[in-house]
Amino acid sequence: MANELDMTEEEKVQYIVVKIGSEQYGINISLVDNIVRMQKITRVPKAPAYYPGIINLRGEIVPVMSARNKMGLGEDVITNQSRIIILKLEVQGLVGILVDEVKEVISLGESEIDRSAQNSKRQGNTYINGIGKSGDELISIFEINSIVDEVAVS
Amino acid sequence: MDVSQYLDIFIDETSEHIQALSDNIMILENEPENKDTINEIFRAAHSLKGMAGTMGFKRMQHLTHDMENVFSEVRNDNIKVNSEMIDLLFNCLDAIEAYLDNVKSTSDEGTEDNEVLIKKLNAYLDGSAGDGGSDDSGDSAEAAPEETAEEAVEESTDSEDPNGKDHYKALKLDENDISKIREAAESGLNIYGLTIHVQKECLLKAARAFLVFKALEDFGEILHYDPSSSDIEDEKFDLAFSCIISSDSTDIEAMKSAVGAVSEIESVDIGKVTAEMYEKPVEEVPKEEAKTEAPAPAPAAEKPAAKASQKSSAPAKKAANKPVTARTVRVDIEKLDALMNQVSELIIAKNSIVSISSMDTSGAEYDSQSLHEQIEYLERITTNLHESVMKVRMVPIESTVNKFPRMIRDLSRKLNKPMELVMTGEETELDRTVVDQIGDPLQHLLRNSADHGIESPEVRKAAGKPEEGSIFLNAFQEGNNVIIQVGDDGGGIDTEKVLNKAIERGLVSEEEAENLSQKEIIDFLFMPSFSMAKQITDISGRGVGLDVVKSNIEALGGDVEVKSTLGQGSTFTVRLPLTLAIIQALMVEIRDEKYAIALGSIMNIEDISINDIKYVEAKEVIHLRGLVIPIIRLDQLLDCEPREEEPENLTVVVVKKGDSYAGLVVDNLMGQQEIVIKSLGKVIENNKLISGATILGDGEVALIIDVNTLI
Repeated sequence: MANELDMTEEEKVQYIVVKIGSEQYGINISLVDNIVRMQKITRVPKAPAYYPGIINLRGEIVPVMSARNKMGLGEDVITNQSRIIILKLEVQGLVGILVDEVKEVISLGESEIDRSAQNSKRQGNTYINGIGKSGDELISIFEINSIVDEVAVS
Repeated sequence: MDVSQYLDIFIDETSEHIQALSDNIMILENEPENKDTINEIFRAAHSLKGMAGTMGFKRMQHLTHDMENVFSEVRNDNIKVNSEMIDLLFNCLDAIEAYLDNVKSTSDEGTEDNEVLIKKLNAYLDGSAGDGGSDDSGDSAEAAPEETAEEAVEESTDSEDPNGKDHYKALKLDENDISKIREAAESGLNIYGLTIHVQKECLLKAARAFLVFKALEDFGEILHYDPSSSDIEDEKFDLAFSCIISSDSTDIEAMKSAVGAVSEIESVDIGKVTAEMYEKPVEEVPKEEAKTEAPAPAPAAEKPAAKASQKSSAPAKKAANKPVTARTVRVDIEKLDALMNQVSELIIAKNSIVSISSMDTSGAEYDSQSLHEQIEYLERITTNLHESVMKVRMVPIESTVNKFPRMIRDLSRKLNKPMELVMTGEETELDRTVVDQIGDPLQHLLRNSADHGIESPEVRKAAGKPEEGSIFLNAFQEGNNVIIQVGDDGGGIDTEKVLNKAIERGLVSEEEAENLSQKEIIDFLFMPSFSMAKQITDISGRGVGLDVVKSNIEALGGDVEVKSTLGQGSTFTVRLPLTLAIIQALMVEIRDEKYAIALGSIMNIEDISINDIKYVEAKEVIHLRGLVIPIIRLDQLLDCEPREEEPENLTVVVVKKGDSYAGLVVDNLMGQQEIVIKSLGKVIENNKLISGATILGDGEVALIIDVNTLI
């Protein structure tokens, strides 16, 4: 549809740019329910290590995961800038992701995202599906489905 | 007019009537002469027929009508009840249930005519005295020749009177309709005109017309209404209305009888029509159009438009056919009254608090005291309110279990094993969602009992038992749980055989097998695809069995236990939680984390000196009033940080599940609280130790420990 309407301007997708460690990551804004400040996370015993626990989001229980831990980038460092991005996913429901800082919202067209870069790098687990270029900055686009687990059937 | 708003009621009531029929037919089988039962059956069948007719489910109506005829013959002592007939009647009930299922999932009865059943029913009627029996078969037969005769006469009469015969031939169609007809004819469809005459005394003409059109829509698309569809809906017609339909069927008689099946329809005129029949007055114009090439695209353009409208109407119809699942609960008016009372009390309590807050701040101490009183009052009300709301959600398990006697009867005949089902405690109430889902597991357990449990009559005789096997289902409440026991007086579980099978399948080594307790051996039965049946029957033995039962029951927050004595039978005990959403819980602290333990499973709380802990098989136990209770250190289990030094005394919460106990060591008791259970979220839900989480008054989250998995 977009093609018919406007051939010259390609469809842009908005991403929330967050910082984890020294890297910047983009999360498709359509998946984000809201962003909350850091709050007390209740530990859940026997949960995978990358799930620090659950939080109370206005009366709802929301599991929070550490993207940093999942990607093997070490332990989270909680600062004043830390935020929890609440994602609303179809299968998994609400899931929070701990990030070090929320920077901005950017729009990227498909031409500004390099889809091939990450392929050869890490074998096995890749959590990004492209690298976006916004000015001088490089932003890794999260592949949410590989970050957040499939709902495990035990 | 739309009947879909009545669909829920229809589904509810139909299932009730089916159940009543099934129950009473069972009674009838045992007491064929019981007049009350027969009358009861007759009434139920009659209401069923009436409802099906009102809703326009013709096939269902037809079947129930014939059943009703049989019952009426039974009532008049023209037919004797025998078990063959009972079988047939049960088959009919199954067929009606199948219709109902169809209605539930698609809002339509489906296309199964069940002619075999109807024929069999009629065979019974014909076999009887014949006076009343021919009633039914005659119905259609008589009607048909009459109508065909009429048709022959009709040919000649061609009047402008809308009530006249074959009015459909004299309809005045506009260009649009004619082109629709032409298109339909071009695409190979048959075009029929119909004039439907309703009876003079018909009260709900619009409703009948609606049902007629609904019936016709099964055959094809209605192209034209006369009078217009909105006029028909508003009953702006006299005693007849006409329509033109395009259909891929050539079976005029089927169409005719479908329409004729709608009640209060006097007669139906039907015949093939063509576009030419209607376009005489404007003959010249289309010819001219055909000559010149230019206007040709015009009808062509019309075509997609018509198609588009056709298409858009089709999905709309589909959307309307979405599944209708009964999500209703019938509530006792007394329960509602109690609820109402509590809500008014709640309002009073709120008002008191409002008045306290608006009071002068002169006596601050007095304020806080009365506020405290009000809060206590409020607490009492909310507890009661919760109880009442839970009660509203509770339904007797009767609705689920009352189909079982019939099932056992069928199984008894199929397996050639006489057996009887004795049920007690059908009135035991459970949460609606639990009742809905407990049916399948229970059914499975009963089938197991019938198939594997009860021995053949010869074996039973040899064992000195009565030939007729007995299966029981007992339900009762125990604390915060409902217990349902399903068992039999059959052969019991042969643990020897189970063990051999387990070894054969490599589930356990022979050395290990020697040390297994009876209970552990029986637990093998709950392993996936572990079937003990020597041969696969359609009743059981496919190995999808007890493991599914177990997981179904566990999904409901319950558990299942087996007790079995070889030669004397086995009993499956299903334990289910009374409520799902809100529970009373004991809040405990372990290090700085808060956990909730359901109060229902707590037996008592003990203060135990560390010296009282004994060791059995290197496991910590305590000896308490004659019971040896294993100690579970929750801090270790829950991976809490270890304490620097062990305290002298331990606080132990003794929990119980069935006959087993466990002592949970906690750091601190915080008190009792009513908590709302929330799911942990799907990604970490598969956590066995924790059954959920709850939000405390200060917004903090506490986890709920699932005691059942600990023991």
